[in-house]
Amino acid sequence: MELKVEQDNCLGCGVCVVACPINVSISPEVAGGHGSKTEEVIMMVENGVIKLFSPNKCTKCGTCQLFCPTDAIWLE
Amino acid sequence: MVSNTKEVKDLDFDVTRSADEERKLAFKDEVCIGCGICEKVCPVEAIELGDVGAIVRTEADEAKICVDENKCVLCGMCSVGCPVDALEFTIDGESIKNMDVYPQYLSSAEIDDETCIYCKACEAACPREAITIARELPEREKLVTGEIEIDKDTCIYCGVCEEMCPADAITMDSKIPTSADPSVASDINVDTDKCVYCLICKKSCPVDAIMAACRTCSYGEYDLDPADAEIKGSSFIDDDLCVRCGWCEEICPVDAAKVKKPFKGEIIVDQDKCSTCGACVDICPCDVYSFPQPDESGQIVDKVFKDETYCIYCGACENVCPVDAIEVKRTDVDYTPTKSKSWKNKMESLKT
Repeated sequence: MELKVEQDNCLGCGVCVVACPINVSISPEVAGGHGSKTEEVIMMVENGVIKLFSPNKCTKCGTCQLFCPTDAIWLE
Repeated sequence: MVSNTKEVKDLDFDVTRSADEERKLAFKDEVCIGCGICEKVCPVEAIELGDVGAIVRTEADEAKICVDENKCVLCGMCSVGCPVDALEFTIDGESIKNMDVYPQYLSSAEIDDETCIYCKACEAACPREAITIARELPEREKLVTGEIEIDKDTCIYCGVCEEMCPADAITMDSKIPTSADPSVASDINVDTDKCVYCLICKKSCPVDAIMAACRTCSYGEYDLDPADAEIKGSSFIDDDLCVRCGWCEEICPVDAAKVKKPFKGEIIVDQDKCSTCGACVDICPCDVYSFPQPDESGQIVDKVFKDETYCIYCGACENVCPVDAIEVKRTDVDYTPTKSKSWKNKMESLKT
């Protein structure tokens, strides 16, 4: 399985960024709803849409997909 | 003559090979809990555990494990190692579960119908929906006794009793009054099969047209047979789905359910590492995990709550936890003895 994004669907809400447990362990401030301080995280919102930075760190837990309101991020 | 036939079907698959004897490995994805024990015990690394967290949580159309048929030597170890019988291994059509030479987990779940009161608590609690309780309730009219009669000459057919009756035992045949027949109803009747002699109709009747008496307290022991109050039923545990988690045994109010688990162990959750993603809550086949709710606002509770009473120490949660916050230790594996040293070593290797 692979992490995929569809930027056309993304509203830039950032829920996946703060829900991702790996993101939280890399950049703890995202757990509080802040943007990540580092590009080491799996995904971030850039220019209003989601962008994958380090998808290789993904452990495929499916949390981002569960929370995304617009099917903009998923595992396939 | 030696011939090989291989067949792989959608999520469930079969690997078959025929030589002197026909050996066949079949997989049931629906039964699989994604624990990964098969991957660990396979001596030839033919089994790969999929991304179980994502597969289960997003209901992906993908099998939880993948078997490389070119590597599989059809030894049957994965089938013996599987704690939920998702992998079935047969030799010449006979399951190795029935062969004494192969080790088997010592585990079981049963409900004693003699003790069971058919309350259905286990059916509601079973995380795998493996339990069905069929029950036959007593007839209500055999549990109450009394007398009731409506004096139709006094009755003004107001319908108050019909509306008040909690057992829906009174029916009034309403009609529109005409000059030829200026009445509001043609008839009123009490169904004594439904009436429980609560006397609400009698008390609420504005013209005292109802004569009723309840005999249950005063003459119940003469009028009623205690055998009529008995609840009959039967219980059924679907062995395919049951994972021996012990929910039924814990929730049963009369100790009718008995569960024997194959593993003993311990779960260690690092609350600091946990980021409450809920992967363990969703993957656990035994509903061991839940998110605790604070009693009052501002109270700090654990990020994730576990109750090991229901745990089978399969290790599925440890596999899916993205931040390695869970450690599952298996200290004891209960299985039938085997003469084979390699099989014994394999079973012992499940201890961590």
